[in-house]
Amino acid sequence: MEKDTLLLLEKVNQLSLSESERDTVLGFFEKRECDMEKLNAIDTENVERMVHVLPINTVVREDVAKKLFTRDDLQKGAPETMDGFWQVPRVVE
Amino acid sequence: MKFETVIGLEVHVEMATKSKIFCSCSAEFGGEQNDHVCPACCGMPGMLPIVNKKVVDLGMTAGMMLNCHINRTTTFDKKSYYYPDLPAAYQTTQWFAPVAVNGTVEIETANGKKSVRIKQIHMEEDAGKLVHDDWTGTSLVDFNRTSVPLIEIVSQPDLSSAEEVVAYLERLRSLLRFAKVSDCRMEQGSMRCDVNLSVRPEGSDKLGVRTEMKNMNSLSAIVRAIEYETARHIDAIENGTEELVQETRRWDDVKGKSFAMRSKETAGDYRYFPDPNIMPVVIDDAWYDAIKASLPEFPEVKKARYTTELGLGDYDADILTGSRALCDCFEGALAVCGNAKEAANWLISDCMNVLNKKQLTADQLTIDGKALGELIVLVSDGKVGRGNAKKILEAMFEQELSPAKYAEENGFIVSNDTGLIEKTVREAIAADQKAVADFKGGKEKALMALFGKCMKQLKGNCDPQLLRTMLIDEINKA
Repeated sequence: MEKDTLLLLEKVNQLSLSESERDTVLGFFEKRECDMEKLNAIDTENVERMVHVLPINTVVREDVAKKLFTRDDLQKGAPETMDGFWQVPRVVE
Repeated sequence: MKFETVIGLEVHVEMATKSKIFCSCSAEFGGEQNDHVCPACCGMPGMLPIVNKKVVDLGMTAGMMLNCHINRTTTFDKKSYYYPDLPAAYQTTQWFAPVAVNGTVEIETANGKKSVRIKQIHMEEDAGKLVHDDWTGTSLVDFNRTSVPLIEIVSQPDLSSAEEVVAYLERLRSLLRFAKVSDCRMEQGSMRCDVNLSVRPEGSDKLGVRTEMKNMNSLSAIVRAIEYETARHIDAIENGTEELVQETRRWDDVKGKSFAMRSKETAGDYRYFPDPNIMPVVIDDAWYDAIKASLPEFPEVKKARYTTELGLGDYDADILTGSRALCDCFEGALAVCGNAKEAANWLISDCMNVLNKKQLTADQLTIDGKALGELIVLVSDGKVGRGNAKKILEAMFEQELSPAKYAEENGFIVSNDTGLIEKTVREAIAADQKAVADFKGGKEKALMALFGKCMKQLKGNCDPQLLRTMLIDEINKA
């Protein structure tokens, strides 16, 4: 992984790493890239894609609307509310 | 130098379900703010999603309507997304195995038919709504729309003009409405689209710099935005007026201009990864076959059948096949009355009149086709006059009813009481000797005046032919 990529990932993950932490992460990825190269060398041409490690399917529910909670219940733990809205720091300039 | 525009669309469509995609909250549009919410769609820790089966049904239906391959094992993924309208800080969507891939949509263009390739259709949750409050300097969040089910239909960059984009969107809307996947109401945001556009020298196989305009929800605005953006790109290339960069832009329809929003994220920025809380959705043969069997006849196939087999004109067939609700009602009525032309007339003139009065669209027609067929039979059998039948029809828009029973209860059944008719005719003649003289003098209209008075007196409950015959007989005696 290039350092620029790491800086981009820091930005989108809202993280701020020190230079030594960056070196650690880059070193880790260098080793993993070697592992990936070994995996990429394997011919998987006719191998079916594994979508999950366990052979299980999801359960589905019928399309029935239910009201199980009130707004007041849900907003009990809210730091700030206003007129039934959750109130958060302004997110646009 | 001549240029060509290259356009691909991402169309978001809200699915017609009663509940949300991963929880049982209502998916209905509107409502008091934060009234359709629960800990799951509010993104509270520890909440687990449970997939709504209807969403997968409709995802498959959309895929089949657009000639896609259905992935029989389809999976959900997390898309990182830091914004308060999706409080879990990710959107649950499909990236690695979307429900449908590799489809086509045929559109009519000025140069004939064109096939637009569909890259994929994926199921995902919608985001909530933010209101930015200037007074407090804060943002207010309404989670009612959070987790309302969407499908996103991603086309290949096969479109080359605003007209083709409109034809494509209208075709999608028609197919999805017909299959009852969505009401596709752009004004309510249940169908909206992102337009990806670039420009290149005509004949070139290299794509130019692409910009994306998000959340367009009006066909006329889309046309204006494409025309503006195409001209901006050409100007930049030919005259160097600005440097084109890959970015997301916002279209301001009032100013007639697009503005840069942010540089475009790449797939890597979203850091998609499989959602560990939702196991793969496996579509077995029985499920697949049931959806396949439920697909409606395509509108153009229906239209051909209505004209060739049922003898309707192109105009009538066009109007009926413009709406699934009209088709369903027409076919229900036809099954009972057996008269296609009459059923079409009732729908196209009388039912549409009532819908117009109520400011409803054809898709919002709710009357039962079987009941309409019974009403048509009552009229054709001479049991109910046409005027009273219209009153019954209006009542059918308000409540579910049996036309025959309603006609009886409200005194709308045509009377066979010849004594009463004869008495009414005599009274009318006695009261208007001038009309009698005029008719005898050759004025046909005078008979209609007497006929109208008698019909009014009998409250419309009289066989018109019988009344006319009795009137003429009585005038001749006078």
